[in-house]
Amino acid sequence: MPTSKVGEFELLVLLAILRRRDAPYANRVREEIEEHADRTVTRGALYRTLDRLTEKGFVAWELEPSETPDRGGHPMRRLMVTDRGLEAVRDSRNVLLSLLEGLDPVLDAP
Amino acid sequence: MTPKPPRRAARLLARVLADDPAGPSILGDLHEDFAARARSEGVRRARRWYRREALRLAGNRGLDTLLRTLSGSRSMTDLFRPRGLGHDALAAVRSARRDPGLFALVALVIALGVGATTTVFSVLNPLMIAPLPFDEPEDLVWIANESEGGSLSSVTSRSSNLRDFRARSTSFQGITGYNAFFDQSTYTLSGDGAPEQLLGVGVAHDFLEVLGVRPALGRGFTEDEGLWGGPPAVILTHGFWVRRFAADPGVVGSAVTLNGTARDVVGILPRSFDFSSVFTPGVPVDFLLPFPVSDETNRWGNTMSFIGRLRAGASAGTAQQDLDAVVATLQEEQPDRWGLGARVTPLQAHIAGPYRSALLLLVAAAGGVMLIVCVNVANVLLARSPRRGREVAVRKALGATRGRIVRQFLLESLLLCGAGGVLGIGVAVLATRFVAGAPGLDIPLVDRISVDGWALAFAGLAAVAAGLLAGVVPALQVSEGRESTTLNEATRGASSHRAGRRLRELLVVAELALACVLLVSTGLLLRSFQAVLDVDLGFEPEGAVAWQLNPSPDFGSLDEEAAFYDRVTTSARSVPGVAAAGLIDALPLGKNRTWGFRVVGLPADEDTDVGIFPHMIDAGYLEAMRIPVIEGRGFTPDDTHETTPVILINETAADVIFPDGGALGQRLMTGGGDRGWEIVGVVGDIRHLTPETPAAVQVYFPITQMWDYQTMDLVVRSRLPATTLAPTISAALARIDPVMPTRDYWTLESTLARAHSPRRFTLQILAAFGLIALVLAALGIYGVLSNSVAERTREIGIRMALGASAAGVRRAVVLRSVGLAAAGVALGLVMALAAARMLSSLLYGVPATDPLTMFGMAAVLMTVAGLSGLLPAIRASRADGLRALRSE
Repeated sequence: MPTSKVGEFELLVLLAILRRRDAPYANRVREEIEEHADRTVTRGALYRTLDRLTEKGFVAWELEPSETPDRGGHPMRRLMVTDRGLEAVRDSRNVLLSLLEGLDPVLDAP
Repeated sequence: MTPKPPRRAARLLARVLADDPAGPSILGDLHEDFAARARSEGVRRARRWYRREALRLAGNRGLDTLLRTLSGSRSMTDLFRPRGLGHDALAAVRSARRDPGLFALVALVIALGVGATTTVFSVLNPLMIAPLPFDEPEDLVWIANESEGGSLSSVTSRSSNLRDFRARSTSFQGITGYNAFFDQSTYTLSGDGAPEQLLGVGVAHDFLEVLGVRPALGRGFTEDEGLWGGPPAVILTHGFWVRRFAADPGVVGSAVTLNGTARDVVGILPRSFDFSSVFTPGVPVDFLLPFPVSDETNRWGNTMSFIGRLRAGASAGTAQQDLDAVVATLQEEQPDRWGLGARVTPLQAHIAGPYRSALLLLVAAAGGVMLIVCVNVANVLLARSPRRGREVAVRKALGATRGRIVRQFLLESLLLCGAGGVLGIGVAVLATRFVAGAPGLDIPLVDRISVDGWALAFAGLAAVAAGLLAGVVPALQVSEGRESTTLNEATRGASSHRAGRRLRELLVVAELALACVLLVSTGLLLRSFQAVLDVDLGFEPEGAVAWQLNPSPDFGSLDEEAAFYDRVTTSARSVPGVAAAGLIDALPLGKNRTWGFRVVGLPADEDTDVGIFPHMIDAGYLEAMRIPVIEGRGFTPDDTHETTPVILINETAADVIFPDGGALGQRLMTGGGDRGWEIVGVVGDIRHLTPETPAAVQVYFPITQMWDYQTMDLVVRSRLPATTLAPTISAALARIDPVMPTRDYWTLESTLARAHSPRRFTLQILAAFGLIALVLAALGIYGVLSNSVAERTREIGIRMALGASAAGVRRAVVLRSVGLAAAGVALGLVMALAAARMLSSLLYGVPATDPLTMFGMAAVLMTVAGLSGLLPAIRASRADGLRALRSE
């Protein structure tokens, strides 16, 4: 099963990176998840997940210099979802959709 | 300018992330959120947030990296796999339940270690680790006049220096100061309720601003209020406000009457800033009032202590260079100017400085106790390992990896340490409460000593570290790949576990050595304390009770004042049971100041380079204190301001100033007056500063001739207990001056006890540690010997069957324990000699290498070791070889 490759939080992180293509940085990704999933994302969990996704080859990143004084001269990490990562997201979507099919009456019941 | 995150936290995180390719960006992410938070919630809260977040992250990432490195080694991979963890944890709990007595004992031992270290951490934390209760405290520095040490006048500075440093230095956002001699005068609060004697400290108007302390209510002082003759204002400390005004916010804006002057209450200090707790531990402060930085106060000489706040980018080092340059320029411009100097030290280092060596000693001692605990626990676990060898062998034969087995052992010791840690926190809470409540313990920030979140985290860490440390040796030893031999041995009945026993004996020797170091240190401190108690103070504290007098009338003349004080002593002497009564401006073991002087008739350049300690006394003081007159006479009522100005000097002064003798009749120029003061008597030396400090050059002036004093202390000698004496003396004083507060009195013995208290405190804690170490070492010896006796029952039984006597067997076992002890003690004495250097600053009247202490403690340890070998020895001599053989 291809979906076993990516866990729930990993999926959230991948999706958030894709949504913030304009500014794919860790802090923006965190905000994106917090906003949509309505949960607090601890820094440690996010970084650890990014490490794991990188190990699995779903995410690649590069450091880019930052001029903002707010970052105290530290660079930013530009995150990218790789082709394999996209593939995993697609697989997850398909599994979710096929599992959800026909469940609307149950899920929308009052 | 954008605010900076806390330096130390950022540095820690950077170090943890050093090998992480994404590290720099993670630092940036945190920095970015910090900047956003600083804008929305303020810099202070943002910094607190950053500290928490950085620590959490450092822990997280650090652990990740560690696990990844460790799990690289193949055979131990299972150690970090979640599979079977629950099963192993359950097995650990089962193993603890199999032997609840042992479990409880080991947990208790760990509790002692965790309790000891956590207590020391809690005491140390507010003083040396936690930031001071100010904004950005790392930017605050202490600016002394000259090097630290010596009398107070030599470290304080003139207010003109403050004015010029402010104007000319470039390294500071601000420099402020307070009157370091504030405790030499008191204020009488009159108005509502009983008159009360209070202490107030004069501060430069920007004092709170520079420290970054915001008043809880109201405001700080204005520049106007800081001028000479400015509007009289006062800021109350939080404690005083709660005590006297029941925390009534309406007090702000009203006026209070202090020494007859109405002063507006403009603010209340926050609870978090207790002036005395930071700057003058043991001297309670009730309020702040403005201290003008003006020509008038400049004439009072070195009266101020300075505190500066560094500009961004400046350090204590650059600030020192800056001030050095300023001082040099000023001295060049004004060659006559005196009292110029500046020595910059970080504020925290200044405050913690005097307590540093004692605290470090306690840290070392607590670390020693913790090590002993670990060794002890490791020993107990090791002792169990032969019995568990078979279990391990079977599991390995069934396919368990070494990682799994090591993990199970580690889980067992972690479980032990968890239980011990919880108990240890209980111990620490009790001990900390005892420390914080210890009477007369004048450590700065003592009010902040508590088992807080940091201490809990520390206790947890200590317990886990102990668990790993104590568990890892047995775990590795048992899991070693020798399953076939273990199985064979187990079935055939092991004849010996020589290697295991050797290891355990080695651990016991280490334990004994550590205990020996602790005991020797305790012994040395004990001998020092005894030496301090035996010091001849030069006066008799027993039976002397004192009152501080703050008379309400403004005296028009010296005669009037002398008459008032004469009435005071006369009426005190008329109280039944009073043997003597006298007056002095400052009793021994308290305040100090120094004056310069010159011998009349000698050219100025031949003056000795010493200052004098001036004291103003009346004719009855020497008798009341039982200070002997060695030569000449004391003061008499005939010494008035119309007769020749006379002084008394102490023996040290006579030796130092007149080494060739003939002090009587000489005259000194000092403390004003143009004719000089004639020496009419030489009196005994007294210890004025501390019981340990030898007498300085002391000069006594009669209060009838010299009025340079702020308040007077009345000292009354009587055989009656202070509690019986006090009301009658108070009543007698109230008849003379009804407004003067007279309720507060103290005994000179309590002053002395207070002077001894830091020493007593260190000694008490160290003694407790030494005792713990001794008990643990005894337990260690007992454990190892009784185990080896149990293992060798068969062997001993056979020997006895072959003719060995019971006494011989007993002797062999006791000798073994004494042999172990001898090795431990020998090692310990060598270590103690090395540690002596650290101790020497805390010792008094005893050398750090005192042979008596060394050998005495060695003897104690040997005796205890011999005794702990006795029980196993008796058990061994009752060994029944036949039964042991039959049971196989």
